[in-house]
Amino acid sequence: MFRCKYECGSNVEILDLGTPGLDLAPYLYAADLVIVADAVHAQEKPGTLCIYCEDDLVARRAQLRLTAHDPGVRESIALLRLAGHAPSELIIVGVVPESCGLGKGFSPSVLSTSSVAVDNIARLLVERGIDCHRRHAPVQPNLWWLSGERSEFVASR
Amino acid sequence: MARISIDPITRIEGHLRIDVEVDGGTVQKAWASCTMWRGIETILLGRDPREGWVFAQRFCGVCTTVHAIASVRAVEDALQLEIPANAQYIRNLILIAHALHDHIVHFYQLSALDWVDITTIPKADPARAASIADGVSTWRGNSRRTLEEVQNKVKGLIGSGQLGIFSNGYWGHPAMRLSPEMNLILFAHYLQALEFQRKANQVVGILGGKTPHIQNLAVGGVMNAINLNSLATMNMDRLGMLQSLLQELVPFVQQAYFVDACLLGASYPEWFRYGRGVANYLAVPDLPVDAKATQFDLPGGVIMDGNLGSVRPVQNWRDEAIRAAVAEDVTHAWYLGEGPQPPWQGKTDPYYTDFREDGKYTWVKAPRYNGHPMQVGPLANVLVGYASSHPLTRKWTDEAFKRISSLSGPNVTPEDLQSTMGRYLARAIRSAMLSDLALQHWQLLTANILKGDDTTYNPPKFPQHEIAGVGLHEAPRGTLSHWVVIDKGAFSNYQAVVPSTWNASPRDEKGVPGPYESSLLANPVVDPSKPLEVLRTVHSFDPCMACACHTFDASGREIAQVKVL
Repeated sequence: MFRCKYECGSNVEILDLGTPGLDLAPYLYAADLVIVADAVHAQEKPGTLCIYCEDDLVARRAQLRLTAHDPGVRESIALLRLAGHAPSELIIVGVVPESCGLGKGFSPSVLSTSSVAVDNIARLLVERGIDCHRRHAPVQPNLWWLSGERSEFVASR
Repeated sequence: MARISIDPITRIEGHLRIDVEVDGGTVQKAWASCTMWRGIETILLGRDPREGWVFAQRFCGVCTTVHAIASVRAVEDALQLEIPANAQYIRNLILIAHALHDHIVHFYQLSALDWVDITTIPKADPARAASIADGVSTWRGNSRRTLEEVQNKVKGLIGSGQLGIFSNGYWGHPAMRLSPEMNLILFAHYLQALEFQRKANQVVGILGGKTPHIQNLAVGGVMNAINLNSLATMNMDRLGMLQSLLQELVPFVQQAYFVDACLLGASYPEWFRYGRGVANYLAVPDLPVDAKATQFDLPGGVIMDGNLGSVRPVQNWRDEAIRAAVAEDVTHAWYLGEGPQPPWQGKTDPYYTDFREDGKYTWVKAPRYNGHPMQVGPLANVLVGYASSHPLTRKWTDEAFKRISSLSGPNVTPEDLQSTMGRYLARAIRSAMLSDLALQHWQLLTANILKGDDTTYNPPKFPQHEIAGVGLHEAPRGTLSHWVVIDKGAFSNYQAVVPSTWNASPRDEKGVPGPYESSLLANPVVDPSKPLEVLRTVHSFDPCMACACHTFDASGREIAQVKVL
């Protein structure tokens, strides 16, 4: 979604990292700035945008449960810090989800906040002098995986 | 009698709960329970088999690649579709790089601190540590200066009074027995490992287009364009980059990781006596060296009752015996169904009951091979290779045995490998083998391209009738199989039998426990409030519950909790 609206210089990498646990470390290795965009667990209503810095994470002021099986951001950063290869700055741009159940789409409140999240990521980059500008002609995101199934899974518990 | 419940047991990510009953200082009974349910198979029903791998690689957040590979292999098997030699080599290089990354992370970040007590590091003499390390290895990261720097970092960490992510270790536990110098050497490599995980990732990224979640696969081959005259495709520059990355990775594996695993084996000889568990082993052949996949660089086979002489080789992926032998039992798992179900007929209908030790207690099904529980993983890989006189397996296994005895450790035999320490050593042996194979497969790819072959893809054609296939892969944690049924060009069934399902299996209808459960029996537990020994044995399997179980986590717990009941 970010890529559909904004373009960045070649020194910016946009990665879909999933939930790699400690395997996150190699991707954060020696970066100047890391912005993590994900779902966050906060005492706010679904769809609320929450922005945290590394201190919030380390001090656990932010009760982070970024995804269903916790990608290990805190541990990866701590490890990199000790090894001397931590990113100079870490920011988490999070949205409070409606639910973390099984599925492949976004809930309506998360989807509506996502464009605000995207604009905030661009602002954070620009504020730090990083090349990032709005595309002249925005592209529609190709969310092909949301269609094409015959059966919709309903969690039964 | 003390009842200990450890939840979750995996060091960072994962959802494994282990319950043990301890009496007289040893484990008498054990239960392995997975507290999450994986449901991606359900999402795959009705979808186009050509895109199945894109979803399947989300089974697990860590081992994404392995599921992508098993998925395309399953569909190719159903279609009996051969893929080009270049596609085999490119896939193999990705698999080797991924496996090396995974094994390095397991040894250092996920389990070394069960054996290495970092709180003793400030007492180490860095000069002595450097001389010990130089005596056993030519690794460049063992200099006195390097070790001093690491020691200062640890002093700083301990001095701050905030151990942070290290605050959960069982520091000072009587079962921690390495000298401060050895702890310093291993912890230095623990930090250096990060750089090499990155290099392994870069190999996957160059070939896969992106990592994690590679983009280059297709049912029928790979989507990498090969043209030595084009800047945008696989050309000599890219091949050169791959070669240098692999050449940098190999020394870390052979001179640091492999040597460290031998040091652990020599320092903790008693752990070759604990943790045997289920002595039936299953490994499938992998790293095919020809388009038709008739010859493999990693052998497969089946060993029953720990009898290495009885090994039945598995020659290739068409092995009929495996297809007929595998079934999953849900007597003790939170699913509906009765009796063992072959995966092609398998169902995944959840039925949650809460933890009932005599009833259902886990989200993991109980896979069985002709009715028997099987242990999978690097140990199965190494035992099968050793028993079938596979030269590369013998080379590195014998080298490990020689090193351990020269360090005044025990005289280890292949029989002794069937243990907690054996699983650590086997993973290091397999990594050393893979590091040799990395450059060989790079050579196979380069030679084939220079010969003028630029094909990477054979297009699939789907019949209107029902077909079934199985995709096999010897993944870092062991044998992985994806079982698919395709009807009118869409998935009508999809079942993944993953390595940790074999190893974390619950009891079956006959009450026979799985590998984790039985490996814990007779394990010592000196202090039930600090069950370090239980962690050692469970971690020796490299547990990864994200994919073993079928995603639900209502708890959001971050760090292991130990409850002594």
